[in-house]
Amino acid sequence: MRFLRTLLFPLLALTSFALARSSTGDSVLVLLDPSLKKENYSIFFGDLEKKGYKLTFRSPKDTTPEIIKDDVAQFAHVVVFAPETKTFAADVTPQSLVSLLSKNMNLLLALSPKQTPLTSLASEFSLILPPPGTPLISHFPKRDTPATLIPVQPPRAHHVISDNLAPVWFSGVPQSLGHNPMLIPLLNAPPQAFASDADSDSGADALVEAAEKSGEGLWAGSSLSLVTGFQTLSNARATWVGGVEMFSDEYINKEISKGVKSGNRDFARDVTAWTFQESNVLRIDSVEHNLVNETLPGETYTINDQVTFTAFISKYDPEIGWWRAYSDIDDMQLEFTMLDPHIRTSLPPVEGEPGMYAVTFRVPDRHGVFKFNVDYKRKGWTYLTSTSMVPVVPPQHDGYPRFLSAAWPYYAGAFSTSAAFILFVALWLAGDDRELKKNKGAKAE
Amino acid sequence: MPLAYSLPSNLSPATVTNTSSLLRIISLALISGAAIASRLFAVINFESIIHEFDPWFNYRATRVLAEKGFYAFWNWFDHTAWYPLGRVVGGTIYPGLMATSGVIYNVLHALNLPVDIRNICVLLAPGFSALTAWSTYMFTKEMKDESAGLLAAAFIGIAPGYISRSVAGSYDNEAIAIFLLMFTFYSWIKALKTGSAFFGTLTALFYFYMVAAWGGYAFITNMIPLHALTLILMGRFSSRLYVAYSSWYAIGTLASMQVPFVGFQPVRTSEHMAALGVFGLLQIVAFAELVRAHVSSKQFQSILFGSVIGIGLLGALAFGGLTYKGWIAPWTGRFYSLWDTGYAKKYIPIIASVSEHQPTAWPSFFMDLQFLIFLFPAGVVLCFRELRDEHVFVIIYAVVASYFAGVMVRLMLTLTPVVCVAAAVAFSSLLDTYIDPVEPEASDAAASPAEGTSAAGAAAAASDAGSSKKAKKAAAPDPGVASGILAAVAPSGSGPKSRGIFGLDTRGLVVFNALGMLLFFVLHCTYVTSSAYSSPSVVLASTNPDGSQHIIDDFREAYYWLRQNTPEDAVVMSWWDYGYQIAGMADRPTLVDNNTWNNTHIATVGKAMSSSEEVAYPILRKHDVDYVLVIFGGLIGYSGDDINKFLWMVRIAQGVWPEEIQEPNYFTPKGEYRIDDAAPATMKNSLMYKMSYYRFAELFGGNQAVDRVRGQQVPKTGPTLDYLDEAFTSENWIVRIYQVKKEDPLGRDLKAANAFANGKKRKKSKPLSRRRAVA
Amino acid sequence: MPATKTAPPAKKAGSSPLLSLWKAYNETTSTRLKTIDSFLVFLMLSGIVQFLYCILITNFPFNAFLAGFASCVGQFVLTASLRAQVNPANRNEFKEVSPERAFADFALGSIVLHFFVYNFLG
Repeated sequence: MRFLRTLLFPLLALTSFALARSSTGDSVLVLLDPSLKKENYSIFFGDLEKKGYKLTFRSPKDTTPEIIKDDVAQFAHVVVFAPETKTFAADVTPQSLVSLLSKNMNLLLALSPKQTPLTSLASEFSLILPPPGTPLISHFPKRDTPATLIPVQPPRAHHVISDNLAPVWFSGVPQSLGHNPMLIPLLNAPPQAFASDADSDSGADALVEAAEKSGEGLWAGSSLSLVTGFQTLSNARATWVGGVEMFSDEYINKEISKGVKSGNRDFARDVTAWTFQESNVLRIDSVEHNLVNETLPGETYTINDQVTFTAFISKYDPEIGWWRAYSDIDDMQLEFTMLDPHIRTSLPPVEGEPGMYAVTFRVPDRHGVFKFNVDYKRKGWTYLTSTSMVPVVPPQHDGYPRFLSAAWPYYAGAFSTSAAFILFVALWLAGDDRELKKNKGAKAE
Repeated sequence: MPLAYSLPSNLSPATVTNTSSLLRIISLALISGAAIASRLFAVINFESIIHEFDPWFNYRATRVLAEKGFYAFWNWFDHTAWYPLGRVVGGTIYPGLMATSGVIYNVLHALNLPVDIRNICVLLAPGFSALTAWSTYMFTKEMKDESAGLLAAAFIGIAPGYISRSVAGSYDNEAIAIFLLMFTFYSWIKALKTGSAFFGTLTALFYFYMVAAWGGYAFITNMIPLHALTLILMGRFSSRLYVAYSSWYAIGTLASMQVPFVGFQPVRTSEHMAALGVFGLLQIVAFAELVRAHVSSKQFQSILFGSVIGIGLLGALAFGGLTYKGWIAPWTGRFYSLWDTGYAKKYIPIIASVSEHQPTAWPSFFMDLQFLIFLFPAGVVLCFRELRDEHVFVIIYAVVASYFAGVMVRLMLTLTPVVCVAAAVAFSSLLDTYIDPVEPEASDAAASPAEGTSAAGAAAAASDAGSSKKAKKAAAPDPGVASGILAAVAPSGSGPKSRGIFGLDTRGLVVFNALGMLLFFVLHCTYVTSSAYSSPSVVLASTNPDGSQHIIDDFREAYYWLRQNTPEDAVVMSWWDYGYQIAGMADRPTLVDNNTWNNTHIATVGKAMSSSEEVAYPILRKHDVDYVLVIFGGLIGYSGDDINKFLWMVRIAQGVWPEEIQEPNYFTPKGEYRIDDAAPATMKNSLMYKMSYYRFAELFGGNQAVDRVRGQQVPKTGPTLDYLDEAFTSENWIVRIYQVKKEDPLGRDLKAANAFANGKKRKKSKPLSRRRAVA
Repeated sequence: MPATKTAPPAKKAGSSPLLSLWKAYNETTSTRLKTIDSFLVFLMLSGIVQFLYCILITNFPFNAFLAGFASCVGQFVLTASLRAQVNPANRNEFKEVSPERAFADFALGSIVLHFFVYNFLG
C-alpha cells in the first residue's frame, strides 16, 4: 500500500490542474541559450502554448526564476535548450537536474557535438556519446544539403511516435545506448549514417581506430539513437535530443522533397507529448483484494483460501484532460510474493468492466507476510507498480477438520471408557453399603 | 537427660505447638517479604521497566493476551516478527507465564483494581519468588522437619542464584517455573510418601502448568522417572510408588500434550522416552508383584523369568525399531550439547553464541550460592544417613543438577533449589545439635534464627562494620566446623537423642559462628543482588566523576526514535539479540529475534552484516529492509556491542554459505581480530564495520580516534557508505540506525549514483573513453 | 486380570503354574476386587483394540488415537491404583489412605483425566 500511495499521491495532486494538457501540470521552464533566438523556434513554442502550457523563459546563467523554491518544484517541466552553454547557474548543474527528475519533473534536453556539462550528464542516463565534435553524418540519400543535415525516417508502429510521419530533418550528435532498460529510442539514425568529424571524412579513420581499440564497434548504423526518451523509476520522463535544430522553424519548414513537408513539427509534438506526460500515461487507481464471495477486503488470509485480486487502471486522456478507464493491457501479471513469488499469474481485464483487472487464485499452503505485486513495465508506458502487504496465517486452532470418520474407534474408546467409569462408580457406590455391612459383620464376628 | 540450659517448664504442650506454628507463619511471612523486597532493587535503582531481551517478548505477548483475550492470543500470528516469514506465536511459546499474568490482570480488574499490565509483569517474578520460598519450605519439611524447611525457604528467598532470574522486571518463564518445579517435586514426594492418587493428580496438574510455562519441564520429565527407576533398582518398589508414578504419568503426559508447542513430543521424542519406559516397567513389576501374591515363589520365579525377559526384549526392540523408522525423533542438538560441551560450538553456532549457554565459571558458584555451596555436600551426606525414598530423590537431584549447572550457566537456576534444601538440612541439623537439649523445642528454636535471617535482610545495611568483620572471621573456618559437625553427628544415628555436647561455651561458640555465617550470607546476597543482578540492561548505569549515578538510556532513545519517526511497517534489521526489544519498544517489524527458530534467516542477516555493501544491498532489498540497527560501544566502552558479536554473525553465516563467508578472512594474517589500520580488507568492507565506524573518526576532530572497547586506534579516514544513509545515532553512539536507500531512479547502481552526486567525474567505466577527437 | 495371564508365560511355564494361579486368585480375592479386575480387563481390551486399529489401519488423527488410548491406559492405572489401595493385603503400605479416601482420589483423578481426554479428542 505504501508504494501505491507514493505512486498515486503526486499524480492525484497534480491532476487537479484540470485545464492542463499534461497529466502533471502545465508550467514549463525553458532554459534557452541566448545564442538560440526565441524567434527561430516560434512554431515549436507556439504549439506548446496552444496546447495550454505556460512557458517561462530564462537564460541558463540567470538565477531567477528559481526552479525549486523552498524545496517545492515551481515548474512541472523543464526544457533545456542550451546545447553549447559551458557554465550553468547553480540550480541547473547535472546533479540538480537529476534531482528535478526525482521530484517528478520532466526534462527535455538538447545535446550538441560540443562538450558541455550536459554531455557528462548524459552518461548518467546510460547514453554514450561520441567524442566531442563528431556529429552524425550521412551521405545518403543524395541531396543538396550538407552531410550533417540528414533526413531521418521516424519509426513505424511505435507507441510514442505517430505512424506515417514524414521524414524529419536532423543535425546533431547521435547517442549509443547502454543496457539500461529505461531507455526508449524515439528516433534512430539511418543505417548509412555515422558519427564523424564534420569537416572532412578523413577524420573517420581515427574514429574507426578508437572504436576498435575499445571494442565497441563503429559509431554508425541504425542502432544509434538520435532522440532518446528515458523514464525514471518514479515515472518522470527525460528526453535527450541530439540536436536542438530539429525544433527550429527552419527545419520544420524545410521540405523533404518537392511538396512534402518535413515531419519535424509532428515529431516535435509527439516527443513533447510523451515527455510532458500527455501520452502513454497510465495509473493504477486502486487495488483491492478479498476472499471469493466476500466484498470486504481481508486483513489477513488463511492458507489455501481463494482470494480475488482486483486492480483498476486508467489512462490519461489529453483530449479531455482527465483519466479514462483503460482495459487494453493484456499482458499484465500479478505476483504473490514472500521473498520469492509463490504465485505468478496473469491479471487479465474483466470484460464489461472498463478499467478493471481481476484474478482469483488459491493462497499457497505457506504462512507468512505476502505481497500482492503488480509490476508492469513496458517501454514508453508509465510503469505500473503496486504492492500491498497481507499476512497469510495458518488456520485457527478450531479451523482444522474435526471429528473425522477414521477416528471413530477412538471416539468410541474414549466414550466407552467414560461410560464404563460411570458404571463402575455406580456399582462401587451401590456395593459400598453391602461391603460396609459385610465389613461390620466381619468385625462383629 | 541433663539440660545445658534451663527451659521454662511451666508451658503446656499445646502452648508450645501453637506458639511454634504461629512463629512459623510469621517467619514464612517475613521470608516472603524479604524475598520480594530484595528483588525490588531494580525498580528502586532504575524504574519499573521490563529487563533484558526475552522478557520484552513475553511482555508484548501478555499485552496481546490482556487486550484481545485468550483465543486471539492462542491463534496469534505475529507477522511483524521474522519478517516476512512471520511467527505462529500460539504454537511456538510456552503460554504459562502470559496466561498467569493474564489471569492476575483480569482478576484485579474484576475487583476494580485498574493495575497496569506492565506492573503486573514487572512484579510477577518477585511475587512468585515468595511462593517458591513457601513450596521449598513444604518440600524441605518432607525431607527433615519444619525448621529445616524454614531455613530452606529463607535461603531460596535470597540466594543470588535464583534472584538473578527473578528480579522485578525479569519477566521470563523462569520467574514462575522454579515455583512450579519445587511444587511439582513437593507433591511428587508427598504422593510417593502417602501413596495417594490425589497427590499424584496434583503432581500431574502442576507438571502440566510447568510444561505450559517453561521448556525446562524436561528436567521434571526425566527426574521423576529416574527417581522411580532408582527406587525399583534399590528394591524399594511399593504400591505407593506405583500409585504415585502411574497417576502422575498417565494424567501428566496427556495434559502436557495439550500445550501446542509440546504437541506429540511426549510420545515422539527420545527425551520423553525414559518416562514412558519407567511407566511400562512399573506396570510389569506391579503385575509381577500381584502374581507373586497369589502363587508360590518357585512357580512365580519361572513365570517371572520368562515374562520379564520377553517383555524387556520386546520393549527394547520396539524402541529401536521406532527410532529407526523415524517415529521417535532422536535427541535434539540442544540435548547433545548438555553432554558434550563442545558440540554446540561445532554444529550449532546459534546455541553456542548465547552467553548463558556457556559452561559455568567456578567463581560464579560462590557468587550465586555463597556458603550454601559448601554446606550442600554436607546436606547430601546427611540425606544418605537416613536414605528414605525422598532422600534418594534429593541425592539424585543434587547429582544431576550439579552436573548440568557445570555445563551451562543458565542451569545454575535448577541447582539453586536443591542446594538450598540440602544446605538447610545440614544447617538445621547443626543447630538442632547445638541448640536444643530437648527435642520438642527443636522447631521453635530453629524457627527463630530463620526469622532472624529474614529480619536481617532488612537490617543488613544497619549492621556495623565491626560485626561483619567478626562474621568474616567466623566464616573462615566454616568447612572445618561443618565436617566436625558431621563427625559429631554421624555416629549418633536416629536412636535416642544423646548428642554428646556439654557446656554452654562450646554451644555458644558454634551457634555464634553459625549465626555469623547466616548474617554474612545475607550481606553477600544483598550486595550481589543490588550490584550485579538488578541491572535492566535496557538502561545502563555509570558513575559520574563526583560519584553520582549517570543513566545511559541510549537504547530507549533509539527505539523511541524508530517509533516516532518511521512508518509503521518499516522493517528493521538488526542482529537477533535486539529483535524482541525492537518489537516491544519500537513496535516495528524485525527480521530476526531472540526466538532463534530459523537458522537460515539468522544466517541471512549474518551474511548481510558481514558482506560488503554491494552484496548486502540485494539481500536488504529482497527482505524489504528499511532500517538497519547496530549497537556500537566504541565511544563509551560498552563491551556488549555488535563488533564483539560480529564473529558469531560470520560463523553463523559461514555455516550456510561456506563459499561466500569465511571466518579467517576477518582476521589479520597473524590471526588477530583488529579494527584499526591493520584490519583485513574483508573486515573493513563489511557492512557491520562500516556502520559501526561510519564518521566515528570525525568525532575526534582530527585527533586519533580510539575505540574504547577494543582499545585500538580507528583509521582517520573512516569508511564510506553508498547504499545506506545514517538516520540516527544515539547520544552515546550505542545505537546507530541507518536507512537503506531506494534504488536509483535512473537505474544506476548506488555507488555510481553517489559518486555522481558528490560531483566526482565518472571513471572509465564507460565503454568509450573521453578522448579528444583527432583533428 | 486373569485373561491377560495367558499371553506371556504360556510359552515357558506350561499350564500347571497358571492353573494354580487362577485357583489362588479365585480363592483369595474378594468380590470387590473382582469388580475392579473386570473393569481392568475391559479397559485393557479396549486399549488393545485401539492400538491394533492404530497400527493396522490408520493413525491419522493422531491426537484422537492418543486421547482414546491414553484414556484407557490412564483409567487402567488409576483403577489399578485404586485396587492396590483398597486391597486389604496392602493395608500397612497405605497408612494414610483409607478406602474411602482412595475412592475419592480415584474419582478426582479420573475426572481430571477425562477432562483432558475430551479436550484432546477433537
